[in-house]
Amino acid sequence: MTHPVPGSEIFNSRPVDPDVLRAGVPSSLRLHTVGQDAVDNLDPLTYEVIRHRLWSVTDEMGETLKRMSGSVVVTEANDFDFALCDEVGQEVQIGLYNTFLAASLDLAVYWTLQNRAENPGIEEGDMFLCNDPWVGGGLHQNDATVYAPFFFEGQLFGWSSAVAHQLDVGGVAPGSWTPRAQDVFWESLPTPPIKVVRNNVLQRDVAEMWTRRSRTPMLLSLDLRAKVGANITAQTRLRRLLETYGADTVKAVMKRIMDDAEQRLRAKLRELPDGTWHAQGYQEHSGQGDRGLYKIVLAMTKTGDTLTFDFRGTADQTGMINCPYSGVRAGIMSALLPVLAGDIPWAGGGLMRCFDIIADEGTMINASFPAAVGKGPVGPAWAAGNLVNECLAKMLDARPASRKSVQSVCGGTFDMVALAGVDQRQYPFVSLVMDTMADGYGAGVDRDGVDTGGMFVIPMGRAPDAEMTEFTSPVLLLWRREETDSGGPGTQRGGVSGSVCIVPHDTPAPLGGVFSGSGKATTMNAGLAGGYPGNTQLDMVLRGADAWNLLAAGRVPRSLEEVGGTRDIMGGEVETGIGLGDAIFVHWQSGGGYGDPLRRDPAAVAEDVIEAKVSAQAAADVYGVVLTADGEVDAAATEARREAARAERRSAAGITGAAASAASTVEGAELDANQVLDGATVRCRHCGTGLGTFGEAYLAALPRVETAPSGAGPHVWADPSTYVDEPVVFRQVLCPGCATALLSQVVPADHPLPADTFAGQHSHAH
Amino acid sequence: MSYVIGIDVGGTFTDAVAARDDGTMISTKTPSTPPDYAEGVVTVLEDLAGRIGTDLHGLLSETSYIAHGTTSTLNALVIGDVGRVGWLTTVGHRDSISIMNVVGRYAGQGPEQVQDILATRKPAPLVPKRRAKEVIERIDYKGSVIVPLDEDHARQAIRELLAEDVEAIAVSTLWSFRNPAHERRLRELVHEQAPGMYVTLSSELSPRIREFSRNATTIMSTQVGPTLSRYLEPLTDRLRGHGLRGPLLVMQGTGGTLAAQEAPKTAITTVGSVLSGGVTGATRLAEQLGHRNVICTDVGGTTFLVGLVVDGAPLQTTTTVINQHIIDVPMLKVQAIGSGGGAIAHLDAGGNLRVGPRSAQAVPGPACYDQGGTEPTVTDADLVLGILNPDNFLGGRKKLSLERARAAIKEHVADPLGLDVEAAAAAVFAVQNAQTSDLVRKVVVESGEDPRDFVMYAFGGAGPVHCFAYGAELGVQSTVVPLGPSAAAFSAYGLAASNVGVVKEVSEPGTFPVPALAVTKTFEDLEAEARTALERQGVDLVDIGLRREVDVRYTMQLAELPTPVPSGTLTDADLADVIANFETRYARTFGEGTGFSAAGFQFITYRVHATGVLPSTVTLPDADPADGAPVEAALTGTRRALLDPRRGFEDTPVYDYRRLRPGHRFTGPAIVEVPTTTVAVSHQDTAEIDRFGNLVLTHTTEEA
Repeated sequence: MTHPVPGSEIFNSRPVDPDVLRAGVPSSLRLHTVGQDAVDNLDPLTYEVIRHRLWSVTDEMGETLKRMSGSVVVTEANDFDFALCDEVGQEVQIGLYNTFLAASLDLAVYWTLQNRAENPGIEEGDMFLCNDPWVGGGLHQNDATVYAPFFFEGQLFGWSSAVAHQLDVGGVAPGSWTPRAQDVFWESLPTPPIKVVRNNVLQRDVAEMWTRRSRTPMLLSLDLRAKVGANITAQTRLRRLLETYGADTVKAVMKRIMDDAEQRLRAKLRELPDGTWHAQGYQEHSGQGDRGLYKIVLAMTKTGDTLTFDFRGTADQTGMINCPYSGVRAGIMSALLPVLAGDIPWAGGGLMRCFDIIADEGTMINASFPAAVGKGPVGPAWAAGNLVNECLAKMLDARPASRKSVQSVCGGTFDMVALAGVDQRQYPFVSLVMDTMADGYGAGVDRDGVDTGGMFVIPMGRAPDAEMTEFTSPVLLLWRREETDSGGPGTQRGGVSGSVCIVPHDTPAPLGGVFSGSGKATTMNAGLAGGYPGNTQLDMVLRGADAWNLLAAGRVPRSLEEVGGTRDIMGGEVETGIGLGDAIFVHWQSGGGYGDPLRRDPAAVAEDVIEAKVSAQAAADVYGVVLTADGEVDAAATEARREAARAERRSAAGITGAAASAASTVEGAELDANQVLDGATVRCRHCGTGLGTFGEAYLAALPRVETAPSGAGPHVWADPSTYVDEPVVFRQVLCPGCATALLSQVVPADHPLPADTFAGQHSHAH
Repeated sequence: MSYVIGIDVGGTFTDAVAARDDGTMISTKTPSTPPDYAEGVVTVLEDLAGRIGTDLHGLLSETSYIAHGTTSTLNALVIGDVGRVGWLTTVGHRDSISIMNVVGRYAGQGPEQVQDILATRKPAPLVPKRRAKEVIERIDYKGSVIVPLDEDHARQAIRELLAEDVEAIAVSTLWSFRNPAHERRLRELVHEQAPGMYVTLSSELSPRIREFSRNATTIMSTQVGPTLSRYLEPLTDRLRGHGLRGPLLVMQGTGGTLAAQEAPKTAITTVGSVLSGGVTGATRLAEQLGHRNVICTDVGGTTFLVGLVVDGAPLQTTTTVINQHIIDVPMLKVQAIGSGGGAIAHLDAGGNLRVGPRSAQAVPGPACYDQGGTEPTVTDADLVLGILNPDNFLGGRKKLSLERARAAIKEHVADPLGLDVEAAAAAVFAVQNAQTSDLVRKVVVESGEDPRDFVMYAFGGAGPVHCFAYGAELGVQSTVVPLGPSAAAFSAYGLAASNVGVVKEVSEPGTFPVPALAVTKTFEDLEAEARTALERQGVDLVDIGLRREVDVRYTMQLAELPTPVPSGTLTDADLADVIANFETRYARTFGEGTGFSAAGFQFITYRVHATGVLPSTVTLPDADPADGAPVEAALTGTRRALLDPRRGFEDTPVYDYRRLRPGHRFTGPAIVEVPTTTVAVSHQDTAEIDRFGNLVLTHTTEEA
């Protein structure tokens, strides 16, 4: 636990009312703005022509950044983004790359207008550099942003911003974060906004102050120039646009783009029920050697056309698993953009007007300086995004028209595995196992999740070919495959994840490895409507493996059993050595399922078995589907197997009443796949049994089963004590009539019971 | 008398051009005849013969060769009408084709589709797992055998594939391009059990690093190879039966042709067949007009294609995307950026006017076609604005319904926006033009070029209507609408004017410096392969041209740039020059100061482009010379038309292209009605007919 540093709070940037911002800038800084009448008077032709051209400007800016960057994290993983903002920093357009970053670029501009306008001033030809996640412009110190005020005819018209993840920006460990970090001083020094370009000239002293901290100063220097170049591109084209159409017209279009996005999101929200939805997730270890479990708590309330994300109750900041305010805001946006705004223009400035955040200072998701925050984006920010996804999906599920946008949580985190050593050309190398980009997607109401579909936060992620990995690093990939049974079981199955098994090859020296990622004892990829969560993450080093002996004997190991050796299971945050005879197994996360797997179409299960998405064993055990020797569904045996599974649930949950028939579908307003509304009573959609009174937290009172985690299936780690001391359970809440699973979770035993409450179809006011 | 014939089979029309050795040219157009496109090919040849005044036998017996662009391959892949194929690959790596490097979820999608993340999906794997078998073998990055091929196990895998009733087998194993021994042995093992089975080896078809795209390329080629054979073999026989003595050549995406009997072996190279004709034609036209840099816009009813000619040569790419799969096929870079005249105008959920990307397609087509379409398209707006003539569209072959066009625009655009129909049509027209200029600009800029250094060519039915506007906004110097004798069939002309071409490549990734001796050896091997491949075509060639290049990259970076390599025996100094050239090209493409030479350099893939020059040279003939008639003689009258929303409707002179002659000049606003298209000329343009009959627009507007 770190102690607050007095004086550090001035770097905490928060959204500011634009009028307050305007009133606060000195009169020497003239802001260009237009009134609502200019926005209202735009004709459709002018609006659409300029809107499209602004898109083209923003797009070209991102293209410039991507091309000029020397960083594989930018060029391969698309971990970068960019934005065009109005005069007070509200985002008009953002890129389609790392969607986290959109939630921080405006924060940096707000802060700059408040803290740099007087001294050193904001002038034409300036650009600011920032990697202070408390200020914004990124979520951790690796996110370095360059942003520039754009002046036209003497007035500050708007801002352009470009941000990209930098491989190394200093600190005690390569990559600038470490499982050993106690506070931010173990990591890269956060740099608040400094003028890196003055009067259109890159300032050498400032640039070198920046690059000097890095283990890769030339790469940092190249990327700095890439971001400067991206801003120049944006400003050159913006200037031409303003010269053609006039500043007032273009500004009116910018305002209307944001208003349009806001109004469309609000209209969507008004169609959804008012209520409060809950979700809770965990970070498993706060650093090397730790065995703790740290909770992130969300209560999402929707009232009318506004959302409130209340994170109170989240654990205090600890170890190296924290993020500042920009992180929790990013987590929200990473889920909100795809779930609610897939068909709405991504004008961040408009969309972010539709929600409020409540988060206590000094907690994991709103950490105070000098907490270690280097892991923030892939740790607590990502985890917060999972919870937001879960709550939004539950809200959308309660209205027929919005159910197509329901999707269970995707891979719950980035399984970060870094390897370092000497490569086959005798040079030092550091690389990330980027195959873990291939997370499974969550299942939807009417569809399975996309297998190895990628990450929610990086819509255009990419995993490398095995050949490129083997060409650039001294390793051999024994396998790189989709993992059978990994997808969250459900009526709709979560997308499967994958695994790689790696052995050192053609290197003279042992490798160093860093393993970082939660979701090993509990799941981070929740299912919905009784769908099971996706797999627990599993990383291990197989010490003294037989792999090379087998290869020498003409066999290629195809399973962990064949790879052999002693299994050294990696905890949440580990630095370790890897010997030349060891093997590394990395198995990242899949997507959650939707609906009870006992209700999945048996033919779909049979097809899954043929396509190796599900094993025959799990088909029987988890889905209750029995196949004949030639892979066909044995209908009678399947019905019997499913009936037995339901009987088992009933007995374990202590349900004594007669079993209701689950064959028909009960009519009524659907609340999700299993529940319908009958007056004020919620009934099981499959058997008609009353579940409780609508508007109350009735699920908590229904029968439930709690078993060991292995009850969820072979994809969940059976022995949580490997990682944590707290007991972990597979918990299911059941329909008392037909024993259909209404909720299925792998959680700590003290995880709260469901408490969601929401209003009916027509009861919302406004 | 002898002829060279180009035939371009598109989805809607089959176009043909016959170039006679006296320099004259005849072109024609007939409907395509899916699913049996061969029927349309014979019909268009009969039509050509008729126009020449002979019969099919008379024409074919005097034809040196036919160059044929076919949708067969692409069509089969897009609609999934492909052969039942088995696949053999390295143990542990079969899932490459389902993981798809994640990019398979969004590759080839527009930004709006990518943004709608929940709706993105991967396509089904190219081969289901029951027909994808792993074999026990392993080769490493050096080409060293780590685990020898387990032949008994492989025989069993092949047996299982054959039991699945496969008609062809694709073989693609890890690092086979470094050491093809296992793949070659696997082919022998297949033929042990199934003699004569169609087998493709990745090490022969596409020996390039990155297994996902190599696997996909190999499998797709295997899926369409037999299909292409089934199309070409009977067609060849039929044409032979009608007297054709010269070869039937099939166009590839590279702009070079292959003999019909050879093409199915590397079927995937024909996938860009129909796209490359237009750019090839534009390249030939550019030679004749002396243009070095050309933006080619080919706008049809349903597609908007953009290709570039830079410094006299068409821009090439080494990969393309088909059905969200990355395919390693060298081809001309032709990008689809929109939906052409069929782009639908609509209001989005926020009530804002949008145009495209959805298209009315060929069926139902624009509302004014009166074929059941009710949504307004760009073509409907063009009609309402008076730019198109309802009674003289495509030379009067198609009547347009102004009433339907107005009704569609009124209901879907004008009424909801509170505009009158004319203002709504003007908005659709202006939005389409501005958007087009943004999207064309993106193509040009992303190729590292500046539109202001280019001339634009606009062809296809819908391009000339709008080119004055998007050309001017792009800032090009002038815009050429290719007309003259090839007007009806510009792509077919491109086909007739092309040569035989093969590309041979191999990845041998290595970090610079690479021994010059080894590089020389690699290129000599590739050149020998390329010559052999040309000889196998069985076509008389007057010359063979060989061009070397290597894909270079900065270590760690993704972007590889093909960089020219000199011929002959290479020295270290030559390779240093290659690196210097790469750095210059890199700076030009990605921006000054963006190179990261401190990271070092890597040579990844070596490639030889071989061109077999055909005996006949096809060039565009001169148009009918000026007959002394003044330009006014071509005026057919005026009509109220709107070309610029700021000026509104005005009396606009209408010219009949058939009466315009080389040297005729006029200024806009004007409309030129051509039997195959309509050309609009703005008040800021000067139009002139050049000696080939092309209409050349000189813009005086500033780029926006």
